[in-house]
Amino acid sequence: MPQFQLRNTVERLDKPSSYAMSKYKKRRRDSNSDPSTRQPSPDLEEKLKDASTLYIGNLSFYTTEEQIHALFSKAGELKRLVMGLDRFTKTPCGFCFVEYYTHEDALDCLKYIGGTKLDERIIRCDLDEGFSEGRQYGRGKSGGQVRDEYREEFDPGRGGFGKKFREGEGYGEEYGEGQ
Amino acid sequence: MADVDRYEPRGDRGHRGGYGGKKRRLREDDDSYDRRDRPQRRRYEEPTGTRLRKQLLAIAESPLRNAEDEALNIAKITAENWDDQYIKDTFCEISILLVLEQPFKIPFVAACVLHANTQNSEITTEILARAGAKAQGFLETGGWKEVKLLLRFFACLHSLFEDAGVFPILDELFNRAVDLQTASSEDTLGLELVKIILFTIPYIMATSTSESEQQKAAQLLNKTDIVASTPHMLDALVDPYINNEEEENRPMGFQTILTLLQKQLQTEAANEWKLACIPRPYSAVVTSGSDENGDAPTPAKHPFPSITVPTTVKLGPKALFPEIYFSLYADQDIESVPPTSNIAASLIRDTLVDTMNHLDFNRNAVAKFLIEMDCYWAPDTFVKRATPFDKLRAVPENKSTWKPEDLAVDAVFSQLLQLPTPEHKLVYYHSVITESCKIAPAAIAPSLGRAIRFLFRNVDAMDMELFYRFMEWFAHHLSNFEFRWKWTEWLDELDQSDLNPKKAFIIGALDIEIRLSFAKRIRETLPVQYAPLIPEGRDKDTPDFKYADDSTPYAEEGREILALLKKKASEDEIQTVMDKISAKAAEHNVQDVLVPCTDAYMTSVCYIGAKSISHVLSCIDRCKERLLAIGPQSEPARRQIISSVVDYWRDQPGVAVNIVDKLLNYTIITPVSVIEWALTDRLDRGRALARSQTYELVATTMAKVMNRVRQIVD
Repeated sequence: MPQFQLRNTVERLDKPSSYAMSKYKKRRRDSNSDPSTRQPSPDLEEKLKDASTLYIGNLSFYTTEEQIHALFSKAGELKRLVMGLDRFTKTPCGFCFVEYYTHEDALDCLKYIGGTKLDERIIRCDLDEGFSEGRQYGRGKSGGQVRDEYREEFDPGRGGFGKKFREGEGYGEEYGEGQ
Repeated sequence: MADVDRYEPRGDRGHRGGYGGKKRRLREDDDSYDRRDRPQRRRYEEPTGTRLRKQLLAIAESPLRNAEDEALNIAKITAENWDDQYIKDTFCEISILLVLEQPFKIPFVAACVLHANTQNSEITTEILARAGAKAQGFLETGGWKEVKLLLRFFACLHSLFEDAGVFPILDELFNRAVDLQTASSEDTLGLELVKIILFTIPYIMATSTSESEQQKAAQLLNKTDIVASTPHMLDALVDPYINNEEEENRPMGFQTILTLLQKQLQTEAANEWKLACIPRPYSAVVTSGSDENGDAPTPAKHPFPSITVPTTVKLGPKALFPEIYFSLYADQDIESVPPTSNIAASLIRDTLVDTMNHLDFNRNAVAKFLIEMDCYWAPDTFVKRATPFDKLRAVPENKSTWKPEDLAVDAVFSQLLQLPTPEHKLVYYHSVITESCKIAPAAIAPSLGRAIRFLFRNVDAMDMELFYRFMEWFAHHLSNFEFRWKWTEWLDELDQSDLNPKKAFIIGALDIEIRLSFAKRIRETLPVQYAPLIPEGRDKDTPDFKYADDSTPYAEEGREILALLKKKASEDEIQTVMDKISAKAAEHNVQDVLVPCTDAYMTSVCYIGAKSISHVLSCIDRCKERLLAIGPQSEPARRQIISSVVDYWRDQPGVAVNIVDKLLNYTIITPVSVIEWALTDRLDRGRALARSQTYELVATTMAKVMNRVRQIVD
């Protein structure tokens, strides 16, 4: 017999996003393929149920720590703020980690600040498993975030066109020139 | 929109419809599915349980559908499938959830039950039992908001009780209230119980006005009068406007919700309980009571669920305070919101606030419900959405001029500016306003504009904390909308002294805007006359190091300290320079030589860490031994640490506040030292009180101390 369950009459904003969920799923598949080196990853919900760190995305490259502080301290006292940096230039590349002292403050941030504007850009907030060394660097080939590699739209706050787009490298370069 | 934890598996629903055999497309990770490749199959019919859930959740939401028809349909589906446990649970659990989470739907949920009752009285028995059990639970734990809402649900079902219905419980609650009030003059729980009674009565009387019910209501109102009309000793604490004005000159009348409600109910009683605003989507049941066959069977009656009020009533999870009826628009020339003499003011406000405070986990839904509030009250309660304020004058005599947007803005501000505190963090209410402006800008923005003008006009009479809440809200709000505002309206204030509240408000608001953005950008958004308020010093990322200028006392030593710190020299080398400063200071008869030493040291730390908060924190961390040693040696020197920070960052007051906050965490300075610094050392004959930085330093320090105490107690 199916069991009826309904937590709330409307959806909640204080949950991990689909990105966080998909990260978990990919990892699960990988862990099967290499059991010797990979730690068993605990259930995603379990991991994030006490999370007090948030990933913040879609920042402009010029957004300062002060601005981030001014906005995010409205949801609670900030324990730590780590700016996301370009791997090579070590300059801000449009994301950061915000850590609160409590899980409750992190959830409040998701509910009340995620999806509003900072430095006139709508920012993305997502629950994060916690900062560890190395995670502050972009993972794109050019040193910034992956999303800035191939971006075709012009975004003045994030270096203009995507790196590859700017360099004239489109898709299908490997097929050589046409006639 | 509903958050379903478990998906329905394949299989039958015990339904009578004949669609077994069609494939289901229910998969757990629908998100990873590319919907573009799999077109929706329109002929696919939803399982009954899903249909019921969707319809019930969305009841009354569309202005295009008739709510009573929706209720009829829901009742039909439920009655036809009542043997299915899943349907039973869906109907009962969702109904109760809606009562608790979306109170404006209570009359409509009740209508479903009333209609279902005519088809299968077991449904009513079941849901009354479940709701009764829930109410009992909340009575025992002190969940008074939930008790109020469940009693309201029962009130809307009053026509199907064979006995006295809700009245006995209300009498019991009154008895408890009297006991509490007589026991202590500080009691607020008794007031809360009386409020519940008064908020339940109108819903009973809207459902059925038999002789006996009218009598019982009159008796209750007689009894509650004394409690509701007596001022409470905590009233002054929750007054948003400083009480030094004559009643007529107050920007906003002072009336508690309780006092108002009592008067409004007495007015309604004298007018045959018209209660015009309450929707009645159950007329078919109550008046005619006929079913499809044209017969007129009397719907089954039921006993009221057995609920007992505990002998000792608990306070519940939060502290209770008297609540005033806060309104930016009420009782003015144009009636854009119900006047305080009209019961609609209390009933509508009550549901708006309850909805807002319960659904804080989805501000988008809240904004939507606020904008669409006209769906949930009697037709013609409001004027058409987004009617311009000026057009209200042209509305015919007997029609309503109440703008739903004004009621929405009023409700949000009543929480944002509630004393002592609202239920949620302030930024939540900011976000509700932001979302409302995003989804209905043309409707909400003009109402918001009038709200801002009202508050600004009376900013000198406001409670100080509310002044800062308004200021912080204003700046944060504008930062979501390109900092647009009609700044030209306030040009006259610029000529005033900085001590003038309106001028101080503007200065403070601009400072917060700059913190969320940067000086150059904010200057661009303002008329040129505002330029003096944003001096060029604010453009500098790194303020000048005062010891670079030889005319500064101890300039040479200050520069030496800086150099030593930069190259991470030993403590001995630094001490040598400190001794030089001490000697010099002693020569000049400086009372406490540690003070200038500290100034040189802390100023250097600030300069080295000027790039960002992280930089200054890492420098403070490196220097924390010496910094920690200062306080115990000399209190003036400890306060000098604060002075050095604030003076170095004089053009960026927010940065100074942040650094002082971090220094508190390190216990390099103490909360007392911050308070004394702000309110004694730097009071400047009171001028400091006009600067928002002063308030911020004191407020954040106090909040920090209170938080720590709370953590220890918890």
